[in-house]
Amino acid sequence: MADVRDILDIEVPTTTELTKESILGSDKKNRKRYDYNKMPKRPEGMHREVFALLCKDNNDVPPLFPTDTAKGYKQVRAKLGMKKVRPWKWAPFTNPARTDGAIFHHWRRVADAGKEYPFAKFNKKVPIPTYTNTEYVQHLVANGWTRAETDHLFDLCRRFDLRFIIIRDRWDRAKFPARSVEDLKERYYQVCAALIKAKSHTDKVYIFDAEHEKRRKEQLKKLFERTPEQVEEEQTLLAELRKIEQRKKERDRKTQDLQKLITAADHQADPRKSERKSSKKNSSSSRNRPNKTDTSHVCCKIIFIYAMVLLYQEIYIVLLTQAVESAGIKFPDFKNSGVTLRSQRIKLPSSLGQKKMKGIEQMLNELRLELNPPPTEQICQQFNELRSDIVLHYELRSALSTCDYELQSLRHQYEALVPGKTLTIPPALLPKTEPEVKQEIIDVVGSPSTPSITH
Amino acid sequence: MASTNEFGPDSGGRIKGVTIVKPIVYGNVARYFGKKREEDGHTHQWTVYVKPYNNEDMSTYVKKVHFKLHESYNNPNRIMTKPPYELTETGWGEFEMVIKIYFHDPNERPVTVYHILKLFQSTPEIQLGKKSLVSEFYEEIVFQDPTALMQHLLSSSRPMTLGAWRHNTDFEALKESTMKDIMEARNKIRLEVIDLKEKLTLAKETIAKFKEEIANISKAGGSLSVA
Repeated sequence: MADVRDILDIEVPTTTELTKESILGSDKKNRKRYDYNKMPKRPEGMHREVFALLCKDNNDVPPLFPTDTAKGYKQVRAKLGMKKVRPWKWAPFTNPARTDGAIFHHWRRVADAGKEYPFAKFNKKVPIPTYTNTEYVQHLVANGWTRAETDHLFDLCRRFDLRFIIIRDRWDRAKFPARSVEDLKERYYQVCAALIKAKSHTDKVYIFDAEHEKRRKEQLKKLFERTPEQVEEEQTLLAELRKIEQRKKERDRKTQDLQKLITAADHQADPRKSERKSSKKNSSSSRNRPNKTDTSHVCCKIIFIYAMVLLYQEIYIVLLTQAVESAGIKFPDFKNSGVTLRSQRIKLPSSLGQKKMKGIEQMLNELRLELNPPPTEQICQQFNELRSDIVLHYELRSALSTCDYELQSLRHQYEALVPGKTLTIPPALLPKTEPEVKQEIIDVVGSPSTPSITH
Repeated sequence: MASTNEFGPDSGGRIKGVTIVKPIVYGNVARYFGKKREEDGHTHQWTVYVKPYNNEDMSTYVKKVHFKLHESYNNPNRIMTKPPYELTETGWGEFEMVIKIYFHDPNERPVTVYHILKLFQSTPEIQLGKKSLVSEFYEEIVFQDPTALMQHLLSSSRPMTLGAWRHNTDFEALKESTMKDIMEARNKIRLEVIDLKEKLTLAKETIAKFKEEIANISKAGGSLSVA
C-alpha cells in the first residue's frame, strides 16, 4: 500500500518534481515518517500473529486498537525478590495436644515467635456423653448388654474418638463376647439417643440402622468375592442386553418407516386394498425361520428367550421393509404471511437427496413432462403429488429389486443343496427387463449412437 | 402515493385469511443482427421484461423492478420504476439475470425471479435473424395475508390499455395441456405403483416359501447325516 501511495504521491505532496534527492535521500525519510504515522507500532508483549490479525497489510487502520499501551500489552510478570526477606529460626515448641509436655524443634518465622503451635487447633476431641448410675438404671438397661460392657464400650469410644473399627479391634474379648462393628455402633447410638431424650426431652436424635448397614456390607462382600468366571458371565449378559436394546430401537424405527410406506400407499386410490392386506397377513403367519440358535451361550434363560423373540420379529420386519425407508416427498407449507412466488411451491426440498432428485428428473423426462411447468395453484398441487408418487414408485422399485436379488440367491442356494432340482420363481416376478434388454440390443445394433432414445 | 398517508406503514397488521394472486409473465426476446458487430463483437439485441399477465397497471402496487445484468455490462444494476418494466440491450452471450420486484409497502419483502437470458436457438428462421426468439415464463406472485395498504393497492389497479392484451405465448393453452399431461402421468404412475406393490407382496411370499423349502431340505439332510 505504501508503494501505491508513493506512486500516486498521495502522502508526499512536496515531491512534485523528480530530483535526485527525492529519489534517493528524502524519499527514504518520507517513507519512514509515513510508516510511523500510518502503521501502529506493535505493543510490547503482543505476539506477532495476533498483531497481524489486527493490522493486515491491506487495511491501514485497524478496527480496534489499544491506546493505553504504555505499560505494555500484557500484564507484567510478578516482580519477585524485591522485598526484604522475613527470617526463619530453629525454635523449640510444645504441642498442647500432648499431655507429656514433650519439647520438639522446628523452623519458625521470627515474627511468629511466642504464638501457639498452629496445628494444635486441629486436635479435636469428640464429646462422648457420660451417664450416672441412676441414669443407667432408668434409661440405659438393655437386653444383651451389661453395665460393665457398656462402660468398656464408652471407655474405648473416648480413647479412640469413635473410630469403631479400632474399637472393635481393641475390644476385650476375654471379658466380653465378641461384637461386630454394627453391634457396637448400635449400642453406642442407642445410649446417646436415650441420654439426649432423658436430658433435653427432644426427639431429635441420631438413629443407627444396624440392619441396613449389615445388609450393605454383606452386599459389598458378595460383590468383592465374585470369581472371574462370574464377572465374565455378567459382562456377557450385559453386552447381550445392550444388543437387544439396540435391536429393539432399530426395529421400532423400521416399523415406523413401514407404517409410513403403508399409509402413503393407502392414500392412493387402490380398489384391491383389503385383498392385499389379507394376503400380507397370511404371509406373516406362514413365515417360519430356520434354526438360528447360536446364541445359546446366553446364560440367563429369560434374556435368551427375549432375544430369540426379538430376533424373529426383527427378521420378519426386515423382510417386509427391505430397502424402503420413506415414501413420498414432504413439501414445505406456505402458510406464512408475505409475498412469495408460486414457483417456490414446486421446488423440491433439499432433504430429498441427490439420488431421488435424479430419479424424479429421469422419470419426468420419460413421461415427457416439463421440469418447471407454468405454476398455477392447481398445477403446482398436482405436480407435487405426481412427484411424490414418483418417489414412492422409485422406492417400491428398489425394494422389488432387492427382493429379486434375494430370490435369485435363494434359488442358487437350493440348487446347491439339491442338485438337479430347482425352485420356480413366479413368472410375474421374472423381470420383464429381459424382453426390454433384447429390444435394446436390437436397437443398439440398429443405431449404436442413440440407445437412450429407445426409452 | 397519497394513499400511503391514509394507511401508513404502521396502520395495522396484515389482513389474515386474504390471498391475492397476481400472475405475471417474464422473459426475453432476442434478435440476431445477422453478423457480428465490428466495434464490440455483439451479435444480438435483446429485451428482457416483466409484465402483468392480465391487462392491468402494475405500478399501483409495484414500486420498482431491479434487473441485475452480467458484471461485464456497464452499471449492471438497472432499475425501472415505471411500466413497461423492460430493458433493451445488445450482447453476445447468455447469462442468468436476477430480477427483483419491489412493492410500495416496505413491509412486503421483494420477490426475486431468476431468468436465463436466451439468445440462441436452433430454428433456422431465428438463426438468420428473420424472426425474434422468445423465452418467456408464466409466474404467480402470491400475497398471503397482505398488509392493509398492500391490499388496497392490489385491488385498485386499472387496465393498462383499452385494446387487447396479448402475450407471445398462449399460456392458457399451455396451462391446459400441462394439466392434462400431469394428470395422465399421475394415472400412469399410480397404476404402476399398484402393480409394483402386488409384485412386492408376491416376492415376499415367494421368499418365505423358498426359505421354508431350504429349511426343510437342510433339516432332512441334517437328520440323515445323524442317522
